[in-house]
Amino acid sequence: MRCEHLEPTMEAIADGSQEPGAEDRDHLQTCPVCQSRLARARMIHEWLPLRDVPTPPASFTAGVMARVGRERWRTERVFDLGFNVAIAAGVMLIAGGGAGLAWSLGFLNISIDWAALAVAAGSNLGDRVVPQIQTIGMAAMLLTMTLALWWWAETDSSV
Amino acid sequence: MRATPEHELVERCRQGDEAAFRELVEQYKGLVFALTARSVADRARAEDLAQEVFLRVHKGLPYFRGEARLSTWIYRIVTNVLSAERPDRTMASLDEVSEGEHLARLQPIANDRAFGDLVLKDRLNKAIQRLPVPYQVLVNGHYLKGLRYEDLAAALDMPMGTVKTHLHRAKRQLRILLETEFR
Repeated sequence: MRCEHLEPTMEAIADGSQEPGAEDRDHLQTCPVCQSRLARARMIHEWLPLRDVPTPPASFTAGVMARVGRERWRTERVFDLGFNVAIAAGVMLIAGGGAGLAWSLGFLNISIDWAALAVAAGSNLGDRVVPQIQTIGMAAMLLTMTLALWWWAETDSSV
Repeated sequence: MRATPEHELVERCRQGDEAAFRELVEQYKGLVFALTARSVADRARAEDLAQEVFLRVHKGLPYFRGEARLSTWIYRIVTNVLSAERPDRTMASLDEVSEGEHLARLQPIANDRAFGDLVLKDRLNKAIQRLPVPYQVLVNGHYLKGLRYEDLAAALDMPMGTVKTHLHRAKRQLRILLETEFR
């Protein structure tokens, strides 16, 4: 019973922040279980400050600065992309708005036969693409390789 | 009110002064690395986590209002990073060893001479890594120079008296782990 009462206070007794009462002291002098617990608590208390303090490698600060730089570059790239998209959207909006305004005021009078245009475009595209299929294939392959290299370089630099 | 060197350093960092941030890293890298390396067995991972701490510091500096000491704030970030690394240990209750379970398992230890030798160091380190993250940080932080009870209390959002109580509980859990699982 006394053991259970004493057990949660072992650490406080071990580091001297709590004094055991007279009864507890008597019990500690005779009980091997409590003596063992107290010895272990004292050992932990004494050992904890003696543990090695791990030191960072010499390149640590440089590593942090490089990561901060990469992070900043990534953030700036996102901002740049957003800015470019916003500019493009703005230009298109202005151009479309201007065209719409001109059309509504009667300055533009365009009539297009969309069906005929689509048929002609399809026919033209076929006539032009088929003879150039090898060149287009090579260009597509080169583009894919370039994109793959770019992706690889991006992945590697972010490690 | 005069600005302290710490405030000045933070202010320079906020203004994008790279040299100031380098100075900050130099100043706190020992503390941060010691805390992560004592909690994570893999040294490379510990370094990665320590770098992550400084990355978060860099991102968070514009929002750091200087109400707490810089070390306290960094210490809190270390706790968060370690908690994210080991979610299994994060939410574990600070009193996770139930009294009944512990007392049932506890046996008298008559002759454990190995307890006092160098093996203890290794067992102690392993046992610390088994503690819930807040206890780990508490034990590791308390026994490193430079971290006061006040810092620990602020970083863990606890009253100072509670820090002392939790430190005793952490050491009790360590003792129980050493008695039962790392014998």
